[in-house]
Amino acid sequence: MGSRASTLLREEEIEEIKKETGFSHSQITRLYSRFTSLDKGENGTLSREDFQRIPELAINPLGDRIINAFFPEAEDQVNFRGFMRTLAHFRPIEDNDKSKNVAVSEPLNSRTNKLLFAFRLYDLDRDDKISRDELLQVLRMMVGVNISDEQLGSIADRTIQEADTNGDNSISFSEFIKVLEKVDVEQKMSIRFLH
Amino acid sequence: MCDLMMMSSSDSNSDSEEEESLSEGEMAQLLEEVEEKKKLIATIRNKPWRMKRRLVDLKEAQEFVDKFEGALGKGKGRKWFAYKVMMKKKWIKFQRDFENFRTACIPWERKIKDVESHFGSSVASYFIFLRWMYGMNLVLFGFTFGLVVIPEVLMGLPYGSIPRKTVPTPDQDTAQDYSVLMDFNGYCKYSVLFYGYYNNQRTIGLLKFRLPLSYLMVGIGTFGYSLMVVIRTMAKNADVGGGDGDEGEFTFAWKMFTSWDYLIGNSETADNKYASITTSFKESIVDEQENQKDENIHLRRFLRVMANFLITCSLGGSGYLIYFVVKRSQEFANRTDLSWYEKNELELIMSLLGLVCPPLFETIAELEDYHPRIALKWQLGRIFALFLGNLYTFLFALFDEVNTKLEQEDSIKNASIWAMKEYYANYTLMLNGTDSPIPPMDPGDVIRGPCWETAVGIEFVKLTVSDIQVSYLTILIGDFARAVIVRFLNYCWCWDLEAGFPSYGEFDISGNVLGLVFNQGMIWMGAFYAPGLVGINVLRLLSSMYYQCWAVMATNVPHERVFKASKSNNFYMGLLLLILFLSLLPVVFTIMTLPPSFDCGPFSGKVKMFDVIMETIDLDLPAFLGTLFSYAANPGLIIPAVLLMVLAIYYLNSVSEAYQHANMELKKKMQMTRDEEKNRRNNTDSTNQVMKDLEDLLPNRSLMPPAPPPQPVKKPEPEAKPTKTRPGTAGKGVNLQRDVTLASPNPNARGPVSRPPGPRGHGPPPGAGPGRGRGRGRGAPPR
Repeated sequence: MGSRASTLLREEEIEEIKKETGFSHSQITRLYSRFTSLDKGENGTLSREDFQRIPELAINPLGDRIINAFFPEAEDQVNFRGFMRTLAHFRPIEDNDKSKNVAVSEPLNSRTNKLLFAFRLYDLDRDDKISRDELLQVLRMMVGVNISDEQLGSIADRTIQEADTNGDNSISFSEFIKVLEKVDVEQKMSIRFLH
Repeated sequence: MCDLMMMSSSDSNSDSEEEESLSEGEMAQLLEEVEEKKKLIATIRNKPWRMKRRLVDLKEAQEFVDKFEGALGKGKGRKWFAYKVMMKKKWIKFQRDFENFRTACIPWERKIKDVESHFGSSVASYFIFLRWMYGMNLVLFGFTFGLVVIPEVLMGLPYGSIPRKTVPTPDQDTAQDYSVLMDFNGYCKYSVLFYGYYNNQRTIGLLKFRLPLSYLMVGIGTFGYSLMVVIRTMAKNADVGGGDGDEGEFTFAWKMFTSWDYLIGNSETADNKYASITTSFKESIVDEQENQKDENIHLRRFLRVMANFLITCSLGGSGYLIYFVVKRSQEFANRTDLSWYEKNELELIMSLLGLVCPPLFETIAELEDYHPRIALKWQLGRIFALFLGNLYTFLFALFDEVNTKLEQEDSIKNASIWAMKEYYANYTLMLNGTDSPIPPMDPGDVIRGPCWETAVGIEFVKLTVSDIQVSYLTILIGDFARAVIVRFLNYCWCWDLEAGFPSYGEFDISGNVLGLVFNQGMIWMGAFYAPGLVGINVLRLLSSMYYQCWAVMATNVPHERVFKASKSNNFYMGLLLLILFLSLLPVVFTIMTLPPSFDCGPFSGKVKMFDVIMETIDLDLPAFLGTLFSYAANPGLIIPAVLLMVLAIYYLNSVSEAYQHANMELKKKMQMTRDEEKNRRNNTDSTNQVMKDLEDLLPNRSLMPPAPPPQPVKKPEPEAKPTKTRPGTAGKGVNLQRDVTLASPNPNARGPVSRPPGPRGHGPPPGAGPGRGRGRGRGAPPR
C-alpha cells in the first residue's frame, strides 16, 4: 500500500535489530510487514486492541497475558523494536547456535529464555514462583465452571506435588524447566518461517 | 586459544549465516592474533621445546595466518578471500530465495491451515498425509508415464495395426458402449491403460528405445522409490517420537501448561478445545481413581475373551463371504447375461464390508472396557486385519482366475501356431518358396489368447474405481446429506437433532487414513499390470483433496476430544511400509514364476518376464559385463553376500541394544536422584549411605535452628546433578534460597558449607543473565 516515509524500516535499524535479536534480514522484513498490517492506526506502534484483533490471541485463555508480555511496564504502545524484542524469544533455534561457546552471552531464543517467557505468563506477581493461587487462576480460565472448585484445588495441589522438588509448595523456575524437560519447546515456541 | 575457537566458530557461522561481516572489534582482535602468530613463526627456532611440538605449532600458526590474513585485507590471500566471501554470500542468498520459492510452491498450504485452525492438528495431519501421498504418486506417475506410456504412444505401432492392439471383430460393435467402457472392456481394454497393449519389440523407434526392459525396470523402480521415500519419512519422523518414556511423570503439570492448541483461531473450535481440556482433566482424575480401584479381574478377562472371539468370528465370516463371492464371480465370467449387480458384486461386497465392519467392531469393543487410547489401537489393528484378510482373499481368487486363463492359453496358443504354420505351408506351396509376408488378415480377426495380465489389471482398476465411488458416496450421504437433514429438519423435529442423536458427523481420521493406505497398496499391486492405474490414482488423490477439504469444513464438527497428532504419525507410516511389502510379494512372485502371455504385453514370447534383463545383458552390454554378471549371479558369491548382510544387521542390532541399555541406565540414575530429592523432602533421614556420610560432615546440627527448608541448599553434591539449567537461572533459584538461609541466625555454622552453592550463584555469566532477563520482562530501557 502507500509508503509512509516516517515508518519505513531503514537499513541501520534492520542491522541493529539483527544484532539484538538474531533474526535474519528477510525474517525482519517479513515481521515488519506483519507489524504494519496489524497497525491499523498507522502510527508506527501497536496498542492492545491491535493485538486483540488477532483471533488466535483473542480466544486464547492466556491471551491477555501474552499481549501484556509485549508491552513494557506501564506503557500502552509498543513500537517495532519492542515488538521484535519480544518476538526474539520465538526465533527458531538453529543447529549452529548449539555449537557456540557458552562464554558468549545467551541468545534470547535459547530454550531457557523461551521457558522463562512462558514462566512469566503464569507468575503474575513476579516473585519467580508459581503459587497455588496462580495455578488456580489459570485453571479457572482454562476450564471455567465445568469442574467443581474443590476438584480444581486438588488438580492444582497435584500439579504442585508433581513438579515441586524442594518442598516450598510452589513451582520455581528450575522446577518449571524440569517439568517441561521432555516437551519440545524449541519447536513449539518458534515462529515457523517458511524456509 | 579460546579466541581462536571463537574466530573459527564465527568463520563456520559465516558459512551458514548470511551477511555476517567482521565488526571493528573483531577485526582488531584478529589483527592482534595474526601478529602474534607471525611472531611465533619468526621465533619458533628459539623456543626451548621438542622438535615435534615446534613442528606442530609452526604448522598451526602458518595455517592460521594463511586463513585469516586474507580477511584483514593484507597478504597474498586477500583477493581470493574476498572473492570467496562474495561467492559464498551470493550462493547463500540464492539458496534462500530458492527455498522461499519452493515453499511458496507447496500446494494447498492455506487450505490445510484453515482445516488445522478449525479442527486442530490431528485432522490436519490426515490432509498432510494425503498431500504427501499425492506427491509420491505424482512421481510414480511421472516415471510410468514418461518411460513407458509415452514411448509406446509416440514410437510404437498405432492402434489397430497388430492383433494385440485391436478390439476383436465380434466385439467391435459394442466396443464403444458406455456400459462396456465402464467395465473397462472394449476400447478401454485395448489401450495404453493396460498391459496387453504394449508390443514386445525389443527396440522401437529411431532412438532404439528398449520398451520391454523399460517396462520391467519401471515396475521394479516403482517399488524401490516408494520404499526409499517411506523409510526416509519414517526416519525423519522418528526423531520427534522417541522420548515418551515416563509419561506418568508430569501428567497434570503438562495438562496444565501445554494443553492449549495455540493454532486454533476459530471461536467454535476454541469452545470445543475448552470442553476437551475439561474432559481430559476429568479423565485423568478418573484414571487416578481407577488405578486405586479394585477390579473384578475375572469378569473383565472373560468379557475381553468373548469380545475377541466375536471379532475373530466376524473377521472369519467376512473372509469366507469374500471367497464365496469371488467364486461366484468366476462362474459369472462365463455368462454374458449379467445384471449390473452381478457384474459388480465382488467390489460392492468388499466396499460394504469395509463400511459395516468397523462400527461393528467398535460396538463389540465396548465390552472390553479399555482405556480409549488402547481401544483406538485395537480398533485400528482389527480394521487393518479386516482389510488385509479381504485383500488377500481377493488376491487368491484372482490367482485362481489367472491359472484358469493360463490353461486356456495353452490350447489357444497351440491352435494359433498351428494356423500360422498352415498358412505359411500353403503360401510356399502356392508360390514356390518365396518369402511369405504377414498373413493379410484383419488384426481384429486373429484368434486371441486370454491375456491374463490385462485381466488382472482390469480387476484392480475396477476395484479402485468402485472404491473411489463408494468413498465419495459415503461422504456425500454420510456427511453432507446428514448435515443437511440435521440442519433443516431441526426446525420441525421433536428433539434437538444437532445435540442429540444424529448431530453432525466428526471426521473419522483413522478410517480415512487406513482407506488411503490400503488404496495405495492396491495401486502398488496393480501398477505393473495396468500402467494407467497410477494416473487414475493421481486424479483421485487430487480430487479427493479438494472434495474432502470442502466436506470437512462444510459438514463436520470438531472432535469432542481433540487429540494430538504427533505420536501416531509413524504408526501410519509403519502401516504403509507393511502394505508396501505385502503388495510387493504378489508382483514379484508373478514376475518370477508365471510365464507371460504369448500374444500380449511387452514380454510376450519369453519364457519368464525377467528374461528381458538377460537378453539385454547378452545383446546390449559389452561382453565382459555379461561374464561379470554371470559370476555375480553365482550362488557361491551370493550366499556370502547374504551372510555378510545378516551379520551387519546383527551387529547394528546389538549396538543399538547397547545404546538402549545405556539410555535406561541413565534414566534410572536420574530417577534415583529425583527420588532422593523427594525422600529428603518427606523425611529428613537419607536413604543413601553416601548422603548419610555427607550429613555427618556437617557441623553440629543442634546449633542450627529447626528449619528444614534451608537444608537442601547446604548439600552441594545433589545440587550438582539435577542442575541441568544454565548457571544463570540456577543461580537465580539458588540466590533466592540463599537469601532465605541468610535470614536465619547462626551464620558461623554455615561457614564452610555455604560457599559451594555461593559461587555458583555469583558466577560471572549469571550476573548478566538474570539481570538482562529480568529487565527484558519488565521492559528494557529503550536503546
